[in-house]
Amino acid sequence: MNKQAKRKQKPQLIQWRLYVVVAFVCLLFTSLIGRAAFIQIIEPEKLRRESDMRSLRTTSREVQRGLITDRNGEMLAVSVPVKAVYADPKVVHDENGFEDMRRWQALADVLHEPKDKILKRVQANPRKRFTYLKRQVSPAVADYIKKLKLPGVYLKPESRRYYPTSEISAQLVGITNIDDLGIEGIENAYDDWLTGTPSKQKVRKSRDGHVVERLDMVQEGESPNDLVLSIDQRIQQLAYREIKKATEANQATSASIVVLDVNTGEVLAMANTPSYNPNSRENLQSYRMRNRALTDAYEPGSTIKPFVVAAALEAGTIKIDDIIKTSPGRMRIGGKIVRDTRNYGDLSLSGILVHSSNVGMSKIALSMPVQELLGSYQAMGLGNYSGINLGGESSGLIHDRRRWSEFERATLSFGYGLMATPLQIARMYATLGSKGVLYPVSILKLKQKPEGTQVISAEVAQSVMEMLVGVTEKGGTARKAHIEGYPVAGKTGTARKAVAGGYGEDYVAIFAGVAPVHNPRLAIAVVVNEPKGDRYYGGDIAAPVFASVMSAALQMLNVEPISRREKVRLATLSRSAE
Amino acid sequence: MSKSQLNLPRIVLLDLWHHKWVMIVALLVMLNAVAVVYTSYEGRKYTSQWELLLQERDRLDIEWRNLLLEEQSRSEHSRVTRMATKELNMRRPLPREEVVVRVP
Repeated sequence: MNKQAKRKQKPQLIQWRLYVVVAFVCLLFTSLIGRAAFIQIIEPEKLRRESDMRSLRTTSREVQRGLITDRNGEMLAVSVPVKAVYADPKVVHDENGFEDMRRWQALADVLHEPKDKILKRVQANPRKRFTYLKRQVSPAVADYIKKLKLPGVYLKPESRRYYPTSEISAQLVGITNIDDLGIEGIENAYDDWLTGTPSKQKVRKSRDGHVVERLDMVQEGESPNDLVLSIDQRIQQLAYREIKKATEANQATSASIVVLDVNTGEVLAMANTPSYNPNSRENLQSYRMRNRALTDAYEPGSTIKPFVVAAALEAGTIKIDDIIKTSPGRMRIGGKIVRDTRNYGDLSLSGILVHSSNVGMSKIALSMPVQELLGSYQAMGLGNYSGINLGGESSGLIHDRRRWSEFERATLSFGYGLMATPLQIARMYATLGSKGVLYPVSILKLKQKPEGTQVISAEVAQSVMEMLVGVTEKGGTARKAHIEGYPVAGKTGTARKAVAGGYGEDYVAIFAGVAPVHNPRLAIAVVVNEPKGDRYYGGDIAAPVFASVMSAALQMLNVEPISRREKVRLATLSRSAE
Repeated sequence: MSKSQLNLPRIVLLDLWHHKWVMIVALLVMLNAVAVVYTSYEGRKYTSQWELLLQERDRLDIEWRNLLLEEQSRSEHSRVTRMATKELNMRRPLPREEVVVRVP
């Protein structure tokens, strides 16, 4: 029956079903299209944001502080990237970071710190969000810590400054603090120039962390600049070694040395003792960090004498071939007595300088108005900044007053009653070597000769320099500053240190000079402060330092020595070729 | 099958020929789309490569800085002087021992 019935039934279109299906399909498509249109046209922002949240990242490119090099490209300060290890105590607590103590032990071991100390820092306040565990760890250690996978312990890039020359140029180059900010010396003075800022950029990263698209700059970085100093590290190293030796041998409180290039005013070396190691920041003592060559002013003593002669020659109150009577070796001025070490009798100007006769100097000083003498000191750079542009520089001291007693005028001529820094003394002697031209002092390597000012005439400078040659030769006060092959024009100075109410028992031993006289290249000032030994004369203590630094420095600079037997032995190339 | 029967492929081809410009433009659009995808893929590849090179540069820079430090500490003047005088028995010649060679 069934079969028959089926056969009879012809397939019939059930209209309403068709309509329902069609309507349903249409609805399906319209809603799909509608949804697509909604996402595409009406509200695309939300999904874009979602996508960006998953792929957009801001990367920052760290920059290292600029290098400081000497004039020949030797490194004086180099920054190396390192990592800071810090912890987020809240995360550590939330993720039960203290479960695996082995990892913390490993962390403590690699940081060379007791585990308890580190744990204490993290456990002290569980709600704290930041605490440093250790700063400036090396990349290798940082890698190890990363692999420990301690929850809540992170690494952050920072940089560490190394000073390969260590204590040799410590005060000059200065140091940075732990946050890479220059706090002393060159690092401080040229901080802006050396510091760069990291650039920040938006990038799109793929799923596996590769940058696939670079978008806009968030922050334009500033690349740091390198700094080339005028220092010649070979000379600097030598200068430091020599004053260190002198400081120790004489148990001096401190010592400074300045080496200037006579023709440009560049500082080739500037060293001080006591020094410190800028690579280890523990136990820094401020008295070791001072760049005494320019922060400390001393009474220059007899080293000032050549400039009194120069001033008097300029003023015309004496002539080059004048003979001055110094007998009987003492002289009464305004109730006080000026003494020489012995009676030198009649002296030429050169003789006065060679024997460092106070009587002769007083006569020269009293022959000219005091304002003229002070004006000439000032023109030579005393009482003024040298142009070196470093923090803490002292300008020295020249009293500016109307009334001077005759005795005070006399003492001015042998270096009392005024103060000068070692740098200023070196600069004055450089003026003698540069034909009377005073150049601004520069600690940066110069591309061209700076403009100087003519402060004394070339003839006066030349003749004063020639007068000084006798100082280091037989009969002079500083035989120890004599250098074979390079004639020296220099002068010793030994000044008592002023204390409250007069002059005390401590001395300052100074030697300053230029060499070689026939073709001046370098001016050096050596100041040894408060030597404690038996000897305290500039000629005994400072002069040997001067001689060894000057002779080696001139050799390094390939300055031709003069020899007595024959000026120059010409090595014939053809003969050596045979 | 009679000859009068319509040849469907022929009609399709004729129709296509009739609209050949549209077809060419459509083809170009397709090619263009593929090219856009391809170039942006290439661009991303290069960006990623560039990034890797930048990282390499940073790594080399760090290495260079460390090598500099090593070089400086090894060639430090006082160290060289000490080695020259102590181990090699050298000394600095006195000015009078120097021979000046003038290059003509």
